[in-house]
Amino acid sequence: MASHVTSADIPANGEHLQGKHVSFIQLVSLVVFLAGAAVSAYWLFFDDGVWHESYTYSWLFGFIFFLTLTLGGCFWTLLHTLTNSGWGVAVRRLMENLGLVFPAMFLMALPLLCPDVQEHLFEWMNKHREAAGGSLFGNPDKYQLGNTDPVGGWLLAAKQFYMNIPFFYIRILAFFGLLGGAIFYLRRLSIAQDTDDNADCRRLIWSRKCSTVMMPIFAVSATFLAFDFIMALDFKWFSTMWGVCFFAGCAINSMAVLILTLTWLRSKGYLLVVTSEEHYHIMGKLMHAFVIFWAYVCFSQFMLIWYAAIPEETSYFILRNTGPWNLPSIALVICHFAIPFVALLPHYVKKKTALIVPVCLYLLTVHILDIYLMIIPERGPSLTAMSKYGHDLSGDAAKHGVTQGVNGDIDLFVSHSAWIGDVIAFVTVGAFFIFVFTFLLKRSSLFPNRDPRILESANLHG
Amino acid sequence: MSVSSVEKPSEARENKFNEKIHIVSKKVKRVYGYLAEFESASHIYKGAEKVRDAGYKKWDCYSSFPIHGLDTAMGLRRSILPYFVFFGGVTGLITAITLAYTTQVIIYPTIVQAKPANINTIAAFFPIMFELTILLSGFTVLFGLLGLMQLPRFNHPLFNSRQFNRVTDDGFFIAIEARDPNFSTATTMELLEAAGGKNIELVEDEED
Repeated sequence: MASHVTSADIPANGEHLQGKHVSFIQLVSLVVFLAGAAVSAYWLFFDDGVWHESYTYSWLFGFIFFLTLTLGGCFWTLLHTLTNSGWGVAVRRLMENLGLVFPAMFLMALPLLCPDVQEHLFEWMNKHREAAGGSLFGNPDKYQLGNTDPVGGWLLAAKQFYMNIPFFYIRILAFFGLLGGAIFYLRRLSIAQDTDDNADCRRLIWSRKCSTVMMPIFAVSATFLAFDFIMALDFKWFSTMWGVCFFAGCAINSMAVLILTLTWLRSKGYLLVVTSEEHYHIMGKLMHAFVIFWAYVCFSQFMLIWYAAIPEETSYFILRNTGPWNLPSIALVICHFAIPFVALLPHYVKKKTALIVPVCLYLLTVHILDIYLMIIPERGPSLTAMSKYGHDLSGDAAKHGVTQGVNGDIDLFVSHSAWIGDVIAFVTVGAFFIFVFTFLLKRSSLFPNRDPRILESANLHG
Repeated sequence: MSVSSVEKPSEARENKFNEKIHIVSKKVKRVYGYLAEFESASHIYKGAEKVRDAGYKKWDCYSSFPIHGLDTAMGLRRSILPYFVFFGGVTGLITAITLAYTTQVIIYPTIVQAKPANINTIAAFFPIMFELTILLSGFTVLFGLLGLMQLPRFNHPLFNSRQFNRVTDDGFFIAIEARDPNFSTATTMELLEAAGGKNIELVEDEED
């Protein structure tokens, strides 16, 4: 048994991340972000061609990938506080810091709130704006919407109570405001305890009470952010499992980020007293559980849609399970479930740093594929329908709402190398994420050093 | 039946009966091992570390509740059960694939709502694959556990000890079995005394 940690071993003021360990990372990420932001801003706001169109999808992809990591940070913080967990007190500050990147991600969401960008992403907004006579934030009535499109008009009318532009903006602001405020408040309570000479349980009990209210806010925010930003790419399609599938990805991969961060900090000599391989074991077990949960909910979504075969539900899978996207979709089943499921089964994989780190990196990689498959297959067909530039939409086709590409078909892919944009957007948002995350890590002690349960956590025994 | 320290009334009667008709039992009573009582959970924890360090393998700790960290103090290795369960689960998975695929695709291709009857049908078999994997894993856990613990059994030699009755109430015991290669009537007893054991008792097995 490892030596017993007593309060004499815990530094009275906690451990603070020193500048020398993080300044280089911060500098690089800031430079990369600024360079990427310049390119992104050009394509998103100043370019006026096919790159502008395709890059809106790239940006959405980069934004959603890192949004899932931060949402997962919020989830683990809330779950930890809500269940009054003792095991993870030593790593709770990492969860809080990861969660607090979420409100910062609002900056990355700003382009998606601009009508100029929305025009290529969200067809339903175009129809609404058209029906409202070109007003950018107008809210047409059901009758006007029904007349926009003989195919989807009645769907737009039926969904108008939720899918309307003013409510869209209110929702997005509310999600970022409420959940961001919640995680900010929880972290502030937690940090205030670090310097309190009479640190007692008062703040912990109050945090727990607060998190009972905040957890539903998280559930609603995560679900409807996924609805508004991803499911709405095709307004005709719907799936009630969508929010859960999205959330499962958040939980797995934020845990992977937490494990990687913990390993990085330990390699620099931090958190060595308060964390041990038992923490890795529990975090690995939670990640394993959510790998199974992900497969369970994603298969449930697929199974119900595939079995019922209702046209307006199957469109998502017809696009992704036929043609060139079929192989990546099948690969997702094996690479996102079968391989990590078996890899994480033995206890030593979860405990040994040298084994769990590659698994975490692997999971993040297949998460890229997961998010990519959610968003990017929509780009070709949607732009075929919505593009003002590279596609022939003249004549009867446009009038009847039938979408036709250059050769009279729906284009599965845009004609230029739009994947370069995907990489650039991913790196740009990623650099922003790393910069904010390391900035937050530096702001306070790396673990809640005056939490009464820190010894319980430090002496964790499997 | 024998308890070294206290005789039960039934045994006394039996002995008297044997004397009367001049039959001396020729059966050799097998020694099960030494049983020692410990005062508290922390005493048994310290005692277990001593027994472990003396190199004993066939021994066990008995308590009415789980004691945190006792497995490390006893030097227990991890159970082999997870590996059984893994292969139990794999067996279930393969059974399910074979069962569903053979019946629904090969022998009698079943077409439901124009779904294909080929390898692409496999999505419909996932629930069966899942259930059978879980079922056989669960069975392996249950029966593997019973097998490894040699349960169920009718009796245990330690039940011959009267003081052992307290194990379900407030007693903490260590029993070192005689079949351990390091076992000797003298040194094992000394070890248990040194480890803090009280009321050390040589427990004998039932006849046969």
